[in-house]
Amino acid sequence: MLEIVAQAVINGLLIGGIYALVSIGVTLIFGVVKIVNFAQGEFVMIGMYISFFLFTQLGIDPIISLFVVMPILFVAGVLIQHFLIRRVLGLNDMPQIFLTFALSLLILNLSLMLFTANYRTVHTWYSDEAFHIGGLYIPYAKLIAFVLAMVLSGLLWVFLHTTDLGKAMRAAAQKPEVAMLMGINPNRVFCVALGIALALAGAAGSLLMPFYPAYPMVGQVFVLMAFVAVVLGTLGNVVGALVASLMMGIAESLGIQFVGADSGLIVVFLMLLLTLAVRPSGLAGGRAR
Amino acid sequence: MKQSQRRTKSKRQSRREFLTRSIGGAVAAGAFSAFPLRGFAADPVNIGGLYPVTGSMAQIGVGIVAAAKLAVEMVNEAGGIKSLGGAKMNLIISDIQSDTTVTRTETDRLISSNKLSAIHGCFASAFTLIASEVAERAKMPLLTGSSSDQLNKGRTYTFTPFARASQFAKAQLQMSKLVDDKPKVAVIFENTAFGTSTSNGLKELAPGEGVEIVMFEPYSAGFTDAGPLINKVKASGANALFSVSYLNDLILIVRTVKQVGLNIAINGGSGGFVIPDFYKNVGKLAEGLQGVAHWNHDMDANAQKVNTEYRKRTGEFLFEYAGGLVAQTFMIADALERAGSAGPQKVRDALATLDVSSGYASMAPGGRVKFGPDGKNVYGYPVGVQWQNGDLASVFPKADARAPLLKT
Repeated sequence: MLEIVAQAVINGLLIGGIYALVSIGVTLIFGVVKIVNFAQGEFVMIGMYISFFLFTQLGIDPIISLFVVMPILFVAGVLIQHFLIRRVLGLNDMPQIFLTFALSLLILNLSLMLFTANYRTVHTWYSDEAFHIGGLYIPYAKLIAFVLAMVLSGLLWVFLHTTDLGKAMRAAAQKPEVAMLMGINPNRVFCVALGIALALAGAAGSLLMPFYPAYPMVGQVFVLMAFVAVVLGTLGNVVGALVASLMMGIAESLGIQFVGADSGLIVVFLMLLLTLAVRPSGLAGGRAR
Repeated sequence: MKQSQRRTKSKRQSRREFLTRSIGGAVAAGAFSAFPLRGFAADPVNIGGLYPVTGSMAQIGVGIVAAAKLAVEMVNEAGGIKSLGGAKMNLIISDIQSDTTVTRTETDRLISSNKLSAIHGCFASAFTLIASEVAERAKMPLLTGSSSDQLNKGRTYTFTPFARASQFAKAQLQMSKLVDDKPKVAVIFENTAFGTSTSNGLKELAPGEGVEIVMFEPYSAGFTDAGPLINKVKASGANALFSVSYLNDLILIVRTVKQVGLNIAINGGSGGFVIPDFYKNVGKLAEGLQGVAHWNHDMDANAQKVNTEYRKRTGEFLFEYAGGLVAQTFMIADALERAGSAGPQKVRDALATLDVSSGYASMAPGGRVKFGPDGKNVYGYPVGVQWQNGDLASVFPKADARAPLLKT
């Protein structure tokens, strides 16, 4: 029994790391730029396809392709902020919602056209192997993904708390008007925030590739969990999103194990509702960091 | 989808423009229509085919159309329909775009704008059910490899030469006994109409087959992680796993079983599990996985011959649905031959009395095709297959086994 619980927690924690990379991106964009990026899942998908093609065409391991995917998506994020999102900021919410929603639909349908709806998988030496300790197992690919997800989250935390640009970003997130008075160029900060968020989504894609099939709709699977994590962990709070993602992964896994395999999400949403009932602005309270 | 419609429309318009402008418009129109210019040859016999050549099922649809064309060439090379003066068979393919609404309009359009003798289609049962309704109303015979039992209810123009969905479940249960004398089966299925109906069929038949179901669990399709589910399968102590899943979930399930190191025989059923694409996606892990099919390319010498030719053309082995379609084309040819007429009503009547046990038309498990009053092949049954060396080998029942079952 203890073994079953332990295995369920391990499974949940590992997949929670992937949820974290996606949700941190969403919460960062919301916290700094104050828009909801509905297309975040599609950037995970783009990351997966870049990794897939680098692997099949050039034989580059998906984990190594992280170093290609993240810069590409960083640049994409900067361009999207500069040429698209900047134009609709300050208007009412509707154009902002429609902009990222349209972006999501556009990317989704373009990839359906370009890549077809087929599933693409890669097989690396560690894809289907696992550590076995006692009666427990830890798949290599998921462990690597989890560790790197935590490393990237840690780097982001260090960036936000030690560098000038990171501090400027937090300042812009807390009080944009005051930040501007202090001489912070909001568009520059916003561009970097978008860049980082998309790079994280891309990283999630690369890390998923060794153990999850790529297909155009794949982003939708992960973005739902990311949105829940963002709300659960207090909108705009990076650490909150990270903690919430891991909690959700575990809740989902335990739900499947002890309630039913079609009830994983029910447990997750129950957790969300209960949390919001007690703490209406999420786990971290009203603070956006 | 709309875009492609628009594109065909503009193509059609430009073609019309070309015709009216060119002096030889009348001659060209003759060439495009069904009537050949050479008066001495017999009129060709038109056969319609309805398949998803674009959309989500495009890849499989294209593979099926390749087989349909190959089959028609084979009929024509063998001298066409002799009782119609050596008339050549002419295949008219209609793209149903992997869409139910399009299926209805395309079936209607195909039948009303061509002089057809029979049609075949549409791969997925959801589409075939619609096409069959339209064909029944138009009194047009339809042959199909789709397995839904619904296709045999209240229909007189629909013919199903291969095993039915209800037979698949039974075969799957019997196969589990190859793995262990006392099979303990875990059934996991996605919580959709497809998953629920298939798994309920398995549950109902299990006691009669002497198979114990130790786990019966629906899951939400499109999960992010199969770990927790496989954790449960492991705890159930099952020695066989039936997974009623679409491809993306199945890939995760197969990989996770490997990671856990669980020694369990997996049976993935039919459909997406028995096509070349499955092996491409799952790779070596697919080795030893079992499934059920209504047709397999190693059944007899004829099937192997067609498979060789198909492989030469497409690079893939002749999969279940495509192979069955070659047999269907020869069944239509046989009916035309005996009817001595290209009229759809005559062809239907000839199909109703079809009874073949040799030649390409009899390429089916058991090697015999004869339709009952419900349009079902009275001799039809499925074969159990297993992935061996990147290919599908028939392993069940004993009479049809072409390779021994690989114990995993």
